[in-house]
Amino acid sequence: MADYTEPTYAEVNNDVLRSMMETGPKYWALLGTSIAVAGICFFLPWFYQLEVGVGAAGMNRSAVWGTYLSNFIFWIGLSHSGTLLSAILHITNSSWRKPIYRSAEAMTLFSLVTAALFVMVHVGRVWFVHWTIPVPNQMDLWPNFRSPLMFDVMAITTYLTASSIFIYMGSVPDFAAVRDASTGLRRKLYTIFSFGWRGTAKEWHTLGWAYTFFAVLVIPLAVSVHSIVSWDFAMSLVPGLHHTVFAPYFVTGAIYSGTAGIVTVMFLLRKYMNFERYIREIHLVNLGKLLVVLSLIWTYINIMELFTTWFSGSSYELEALEWRMTGFYAPMYWEMILFCAVVPLLILFKRIRTSWKSMLIISILINIGMLSERFIIVATSQPRKFLPDAFGFYFPSIVEILITIGSFAIFSTLFLIFVKWVPSVSLYEVKETLKPLRRAG
Amino acid sequence: MANNVMGVFQFEDEFIGALRRLKESGFDGLTAMSPIPLHEADHILGFGKSPVRRFTLAGTIIGAAAGFYMTVATALTFILPTSGRPIITVPPYLVITYEMTILLGVLFTLLGFHVVSGLPAWRDRIYHPATNVDRFTLVVECAEGEKSNLAEKIIRESGAEEVSRVEGDR
Repeated sequence: MADYTEPTYAEVNNDVLRSMMETGPKYWALLGTSIAVAGICFFLPWFYQLEVGVGAAGMNRSAVWGTYLSNFIFWIGLSHSGTLLSAILHITNSSWRKPIYRSAEAMTLFSLVTAALFVMVHVGRVWFVHWTIPVPNQMDLWPNFRSPLMFDVMAITTYLTASSIFIYMGSVPDFAAVRDASTGLRRKLYTIFSFGWRGTAKEWHTLGWAYTFFAVLVIPLAVSVHSIVSWDFAMSLVPGLHHTVFAPYFVTGAIYSGTAGIVTVMFLLRKYMNFERYIREIHLVNLGKLLVVLSLIWTYINIMELFTTWFSGSSYELEALEWRMTGFYAPMYWEMILFCAVVPLLILFKRIRTSWKSMLIISILINIGMLSERFIIVATSQPRKFLPDAFGFYFPSIVEILITIGSFAIFSTLFLIFVKWVPSVSLYEVKETLKPLRRAG
Repeated sequence: MANNVMGVFQFEDEFIGALRRLKESGFDGLTAMSPIPLHEADHILGFGKSPVRRFTLAGTIIGAAAGFYMTVATALTFILPTSGRPIITVPPYLVITYEMTILLGVLFTLLGFHVVSGLPAWRDRIYHPATNVDRFTLVVECAEGEKSNLAEKIIRESGAEEVSRVEGDR
């Protein structure tokens, strides 16, 4: 961009802190709508389901897994790019990550919270959910650690903890900047949040080491989380799910949808928080390149899934595949192929990958495709396993559809609250990318 | 009585220059504050490998041991024979062990950060609020007298835009 002028350090502080402290009526309207939709579409139907039982959902024998679990996989997947991308790019010292990583990490955190909510909705009797946690109790109940569902509990708890610490620790110097720029109650709060940070060499040095260790630990963790989620399905012996390729398939899909999610969030932050000087074309182009690579890997794994199913010669597997590609949900399957394997190839054209609007549309289409993928995995396999007399059919009920819509409102509510409490662009890391303040030039 | 000399710099190179000269002149009680991490300051102040790494290592080892112990102890406490498989089924337990390794690794790293950096420190300490915007601040601990005059001279000559004598905790 020829008209780009680099901001000064002070302008970085002003721009980012203004986005937190100046709140217009549009923001309140959006937050209000978001909370209202979350309440009406997520919590009300959930309470209704708690009242009448999980029969309110479209699940029944032989389809005991439905939209809740497909949404769970989708949101866990969406959570992947934030922390994973941030950690990988931190370790590889990629400076283009700096203006975008904070909001990407926030996306991780809030997607995980949304995913965890779906587990609670799915299990029905949510008041017993603590039984999954290994804590001593009066009934001598203890989790069975052989179950992939317990792997899930351990992995997601660890991921949620690690992601929260990762984003918080990265924000501590910026909390100090908010503290210094505010007064009254806000100042008191940010004094606590910032731990009394002053930016001494000792503090920076220690934070640098700790942050690198967090990043190193988070990368294998993120890979393990979605691998484990895939094992919930792959270990079930159900035709269409029992594939060894599921772990890399899920991890790739997770990073893919997460990266697309970052593009969507970047567009919105840039446009509505006035971050044009920080979130720039280079970020769009780099994320676009990443999307193309991920799209190709995802397509390859899909082709491999088809090949291994055909090559296995198993009639059960072949039937499951045929149903997926030509049955009731075939339009959704082909829509997924179109949105996730074909449309992203348009990014190869420079005019597309440098256009914010085109990239926004493509990123949304990718995530529609990924949501469909998660749904197809659940809805076309379990209801039709093995013998035809056990075949059933799954279609989501209105309660499930509403809760799905509501989950997006929960995510956006959390994100809208986040942008007013945490600098959504990292102040100190953006300053690091600017020309150093040297008299000698 | 003021026991510290504080210098505020606009430019990073002058700040680093002052820090280097003060260190070479034998001043030890130096606190360098900046809006961004400066590796040159780390070198001058002699910060090498951070002890945080020992916390991380300890956390991962304790996490791995605790994770494996938890799964094995559970299997031995609640005997659950399944299809002739061993009671202690190592492969699935390794998944739990792996997660616990990372969980405690992260938590111990956090602990390490707090222990090594000395944060949280909510008490009043010498600080210039512009440090978090675009200024570099240097605080030298020295009693009034010749030493403090020398520190002030070095800071001033290095190009500080503001020099003052301040009392308080570094």
